[in-house]
Amino acid sequence: MAQRNLEKQLNILDYALSSLWRRRLKSLSLLLVFAAVIFLLASFQMVTQALTDKARQVLVYTPEITLQKMSVGRQEAIPLAYREQLAGIFGIRRVVPRIWGYYFDEVRLANYTVMGMELGEMPEGARLDTTLSGGAMPGTDERGRVVIGQSIKKALALEGRTTFSLFRPDLSLTSFEVSGEFSPDTDIMTNDLIVMGLAEARDLFAIPAGLVTDLCVYVANPTEIETIAKKISATLPSVRVLTRPQIQKTYQVVFGWRSGFGSICLLTALAAFVILAWDKASGLSPEERREIAILKVLGWETSDILAVRFWESVLVSGLACLAGMTAAYIHVVYFAAALFRPVLMGWSVLRPELHLAPRIEVGNILLILAFTVLPYLAATVIPAWRSATVPADSALGG
Amino acid sequence: MFLNPWSLALSLCSLVALVLGAVAGRTAVRVLRFWEPGSDSNRQIRLENEIWLSSTLVAYGLGFQIITLILFVLAADQFCQVIVGAMCATGALLANPYGMPALLVKLVGIFFYGFWILIHQLDIRSEHYPLVRIKYLALLLLLPLLVLDASLQTLYIAGIKPDIITSCCAVVFGESAGDATGNLITGLSQQGLLAAFLVSLAGLVLAGFSLLKRWRPWLAGLYAVGWLWFFGLSLVVITSVISSYVYAMPYHKCPFCMLKPEYYYFGFALYGALIPAAFFGASAALAGLVRGKAGLRGVVDRYQQLAIKISLVLLLIFSGLSCYHYLKYLISGGEG
Amino acid sequence: MLIELSGVSKIYNQGKANEVKALADIDLEVEQGSMVCLKGPSGSGKSTLLAIIGCIFPPTSGRAAIAGRQLARLPDRFLTLHRRETIGFIFQRFNILPELTVLDNITLPLLPLGVPPRERRQRAEELMERFAISHRAQFPAGQISGGELQRVAIARALINSQPIILADEPTAHLDTVLSQEFMEIMQQLKTTGKTIVIASHDPLAFEHPAIDRIVIIKDGSIHVP
Repeated sequence: MAQRNLEKQLNILDYALSSLWRRRLKSLSLLLVFAAVIFLLASFQMVTQALTDKARQVLVYTPEITLQKMSVGRQEAIPLAYREQLAGIFGIRRVVPRIWGYYFDEVRLANYTVMGMELGEMPEGARLDTTLSGGAMPGTDERGRVVIGQSIKKALALEGRTTFSLFRPDLSLTSFEVSGEFSPDTDIMTNDLIVMGLAEARDLFAIPAGLVTDLCVYVANPTEIETIAKKISATLPSVRVLTRPQIQKTYQVVFGWRSGFGSICLLTALAAFVILAWDKASGLSPEERREIAILKVLGWETSDILAVRFWESVLVSGLACLAGMTAAYIHVVYFAAALFRPVLMGWSVLRPELHLAPRIEVGNILLILAFTVLPYLAATVIPAWRSATVPADSALGG
Repeated sequence: MFLNPWSLALSLCSLVALVLGAVAGRTAVRVLRFWEPGSDSNRQIRLENEIWLSSTLVAYGLGFQIITLILFVLAADQFCQVIVGAMCATGALLANPYGMPALLVKLVGIFFYGFWILIHQLDIRSEHYPLVRIKYLALLLLLPLLVLDASLQTLYIAGIKPDIITSCCAVVFGESAGDATGNLITGLSQQGLLAAFLVSLAGLVLAGFSLLKRWRPWLAGLYAVGWLWFFGLSLVVITSVISSYVYAMPYHKCPFCMLKPEYYYFGFALYGALIPAAFFGASAALAGLVRGKAGLRGVVDRYQQLAIKISLVLLLIFSGLSCYHYLKYLISGGEG
Repeated sequence: MLIELSGVSKIYNQGKANEVKALADIDLEVEQGSMVCLKGPSGSGKSTLLAIIGCIFPPTSGRAAIAGRQLARLPDRFLTLHRRETIGFIFQRFNILPELTVLDNITLPLLPLGVPPRERRQRAEELMERFAISHRAQFPAGQISGGELQRVAIARALINSQPIILADEPTAHLDTVLSQEFMEIMQQLKTTGKTIVIASHDPLAFEHPAIDRIVIIKDGSIHVP
């Protein structure tokens, strides 16, 4: 009984394949349009996911807790003296002052992210050395040496030179020597980054002694982050306490929002496709009517014809999914999502060259199926039923 | 939080399911009003054709329901990354009061769609179509469930606000019970649970085999009730005992994380055995209820034998799977 | 009796303005191994009668038993299940699907029965050998000659060993030679025990010596001369 049923489904699948092949022009055009829609949605999904992953990867290098002083709802410089007040909190490994800001290069019309830190004070593992592709981080006593990201290297057009100059706020020049550069792997964070000693950054932005932009708190046990953050917040009420998990969530929300917004735009494409699929499926030609009537006289049940239509839909959508997702993967991995870059990464003047590696997971595949295949199946079910109920006697003449 | 691909996919699926449900509901109303067995009027021919439409729609509904159930859990797992304090899907589902009810309604939905398809399959085996009225009444009853499902899900998604502190699963199921976070499962001793689990399992196997030998309606009823009990119990046991062996972390007690690739999609195998097993186990008695209808006796008898066999085989697979990590732990002593 | 109709009538669109009484009070019995011709002009109701005998739709009233099964009050699905076990159909113009190969056309009725490909092939090969069309097995049916097409249609009607063969105006679009050939094949089938009902108003068919009985249909009822 079960054996027969299986054989029957196989036979019907076989017939569905041959039926698609007989109408190959129609099937192929539908398949291509469907694959294109899936390609767009899948690319979008893969890019967002890869970017989220990348951000998380890079966030490993940010301190567990960042402290900023807020005044009138805006951030302002934080006194170094606050470090003493944190000394009593148990679980803090180290507090490192940092000057972190943007430098607008008026000559090259580009924004750089500048990070000045007492690099020697940073705890093991949190130093950025591992992200370097060449050179070394500036030593504690070395003056004027910096590490730069890939696109800064390009913007400065160094070409073999190792020195460059930037303006202080009073328009006097200060010069730097490049001692290393960041690897392209962490481009999303380090692409437009210049890392220097705290003293150089203070000099470049003319920040008075005793003040920095923020304090980085390194915590010994990551599970204590929230507790320590609460204690710091209680000790220093005027300070904004940012934890790494919180930053991570913010990224996630932003990426999720962008991806959702993109999906809504792409839903219009999907809707158009579903209408097309409905239209193609419901236009029953006289030949098709005749074929179904003949099959029914020969002993095919209504449910058998429905099964043929179901398998046809599954085959078309399965193939379209395979093609669309493969194309999307290639697009994202080898072409760095060239089509969507402007939408997804509008936060920087310098566009990082990304090397994205999306994960292939059951969940993501299911998500794309839910977006594409289910609406398609739903759109074809009623036309399929209409065609399956063509009466058998219409095959008889006279 | 609708502007997220997972929320959008879930809402889209619900919308599609509602539309298909409405079409099937229209057929149900027409069948209940105009069905005339034996007539060859055009209307009756149309209705006979519409039976195929509605059954296909419910079959699609079942497929959609299974996919959205998985999608819902995976979505919750994504949401937890934006909800402060939620470390996995459990935390995200508890972030507002609609999460767990939505999940349960989806699960119940799978059973009801399945039962409907079973009744339909039995019905079309008899040339009298004896279950037509029951079938379409049941279909009309499915519709409120569909609406409830969609509304709970929408309320849940609408209620997800990034940055609401929720309890992570280590707190929800952990042994530090006592704070006011409202734990799902507390006060149950592991030994007691395991004992109940093993006794129920043995009981089911015994009842199943004796039913295969000789059919007794009261025992079949007991078997069905036993399966529903065992299903609930298994969910508790998976959450509070099996899961921590799967994750090899004593305080990670979550029934959902095992669906993730980190655990080799183990949960799909586990639930993929448990849910159909419970369905077939419970359905044998349900099929027995309609055995008296014209032309169904032989069909029902054959189905019942098959259903008991399937449920026993799946039970065997399920118990093998649930012991696997525990045995691995015993043998390797927790070393990898 | 393999075919037993008593008091059969068929009314289309009953109770509507466009109501048509296609058949009225038909009594007909055909025993196994006989060959009957339903004769009548088009519109006389013989196609409707053929459809009722062929289990395509049930009669509006009356009793119709085909191969021992009552058709009245039977839902469409069970008519289909009964039809595929008992009735082999040969259509006017044969209704062969031109893009499918000869082999695939012949085995079409076996697909929903769950017959595996190997067995399908085997059964079709026996029939193709019998009707001398084996060399055409892999040809698209649209590319073979009229005579071969006719034999493909007959092979398709026999593939599930159905006891009853129904032919609807089989010779209407054939020349004399092919019509003769068709009737000869029917005669052979009759000797193997098949019951054959042909609806036709072609003298080549109803005057053929193998025909046991001619039933004249006129305005929806059997005309007794």
